[in-house]
Amino acid sequence: MIAHQLALLKREFWEHRSIWITPVAVAIVMVLVVTAIIIAVAVIGQTHHPEVERLADATLPEEYRRAGFAVFLLVFSTVFIAAMWFVVIFYSLDSLYAERRDRSILFWRSLPITDSETVVSKLLTAVLAIPIATMAVIMVSHLVWLILLSIWLGIEGANPFRFVWGAVPLFETWAALFILLLAIPIWFAPLLGWFLFISAWAKRGPLLRAALPIAILPILAYIVFRTWDLAFAILERLSFVALPIYNISDFAERVDDDNLVKILAEAGGNPTAVLDLGKFFTSIEVWAGMVICGLFVTAAIYVRRFKDDS
Amino acid sequence: MNSLVTAQGVTKRFGDFRAVDDVSFEIEKGRILGLIGPNGAGKTTLLKAILGLTECEGQLSVLGLDPFKQRKALMQQICFIADVAVLPRWIKVFQLLDFVEATHPNFSRESAEGHLSKTKIKKESRVRELSKGMVAQLHLSIIMAIDARLLVLDEPTLGLDIIFRKEFYANLLSDYFDEERTILVTTHQVEEIENILTDIMFINDGSILLNAPMDAVSETWVELATSGDNAAKARGYEPIFETDMFGKTIFMFENVDRSKLEGLGDTRSPSVADLFVAKIKQAQAEEQVA
Repeated sequence: MIAHQLALLKREFWEHRSIWITPVAVAIVMVLVVTAIIIAVAVIGQTHHPEVERLADATLPEEYRRAGFAVFLLVFSTVFIAAMWFVVIFYSLDSLYAERRDRSILFWRSLPITDSETVVSKLLTAVLAIPIATMAVIMVSHLVWLILLSIWLGIEGANPFRFVWGAVPLFETWAALFILLLAIPIWFAPLLGWFLFISAWAKRGPLLRAALPIAILPILAYIVFRTWDLAFAILERLSFVALPIYNISDFAERVDDDNLVKILAEAGGNPTAVLDLGKFFTSIEVWAGMVICGLFVTAAIYVRRFKDDS
Repeated sequence: MNSLVTAQGVTKRFGDFRAVDDVSFEIEKGRILGLIGPNGAGKTTLLKAILGLTECEGQLSVLGLDPFKQRKALMQQICFIADVAVLPRWIKVFQLLDFVEATHPNFSRESAEGHLSKTKIKKESRVRELSKGMVAQLHLSIIMAIDARLLVLDEPTLGLDIIFRKEFYANLLSDYFDEERTILVTTHQVEEIENILTDIMFINDGSILLNAPMDAVSETWVELATSGDNAAKARGYEPIFETDMFGKTIFMFENVDRSKLEGLGDTRSPSVADLFVAKIKQAQAEEQVA
């Protein structure tokens, strides 16, 4: 069973190369962006660089330096999170559709693998494999950024071992990011399940068929109930700021960069301290989302098994 | 028990339309059965029912299993090629071998690589880079490396050139088939495979028109080419079908003593294709009368 799942997950990486090409492409762009920023600051600032002085200011409280690094890494990583979000959407819409479009489903179904195993492998790819692939690329990117920063500080005469490597809460930041990367698809689960179902069901144009009800239902709900609650509920699922995982009240309002440094500094510069897994997994919204996802995935399995349009 | 497949009153409906209509038959082990029928006759639907890809009414048992409910267990013992070019186009040859090796307990990678080494297919190539003939070779190499008791081939050589088609069936016979294995094949190029078939089954409008071993074809059916008065006499023996060709009338007889016909013109055992046409026309004529 596990061997089958591993083979099926491998298949997803072979078939949907965007799973790893997208984060790698983002990583290349982001290394260029960080390099460009460093060069721009170094050239514009000539000999006087307030940013460097702040980083290398021995009087700066350590938790603020730690928090500053964590925010730098987290904020720049949001680009990866946004990219992952698109990868998950397009992957889930294509995952059960592509094999029907090219009729290779007839080959896949000639092997002793159940429809449940196949559909579950698509779900696992979206909620596990894509975040893990994204995380691996983020970790490499962070190391490259920090090396670039160290070179810059070194040139400016500051000690990078003290002010970069000794200060950055790298593992805590990675842990926090990884938790977020795993929590996002779970939060997104009801839409993910819906996309998988459409992918198994749609004869053509899965994107349009998946998007139309999402766009029309909130409007109908407004016409009937005079409330945009459904629209907001859907929009919340698309936002990682709305995740019920932060243990700070008014997180969504306080989340701009400066405040984030302050919030994290108050937590000792450790970004995992602002995350509360207990809150996440006891949230009714999270569980309701997973139940809806489960229903759609069951429907997708049923459709793959019973709908014969090959 | 020698029956690999047993069908009793198998029916598949799509709304009011019966793609397969109350069909009963058995397939024994060690046979090569050709399932022959016009487009839309129900061949593929029947094969899909046998492969557990579609649910049907009636009793259907394949290797003692319910194909639809026990598809995973069934797929460990049977293989199929449904149409040419259903291998995913993005996959590389070695990835295909990796995947089948990881998921099929009866697959021998060594054997598949042995078959592939006789072809020009490279392991690093993607399926989309291969010609249609090479894709069929690749698929056959994988299928032949699976130790399966039943192999189902649905138009496996459609669109391939004659060289590939001949090689395909030659490989199948020499490297795969033995008395423990059974092959069920559909093709439009029936004349190319009739010498390898041990049994034939004709299907039309969802019903079985004929189900017989090939040995019985020459014993049961006789084709007579004649003209003039002899043609009139031949009609007295109630041919199931007649047609005019090159100034002669060709008759098809069923269960008529060949010695009675031999004095009336040239007799011969019919080809499967000719017999098929005769049975279809006979069925259509009976339908019109009814």
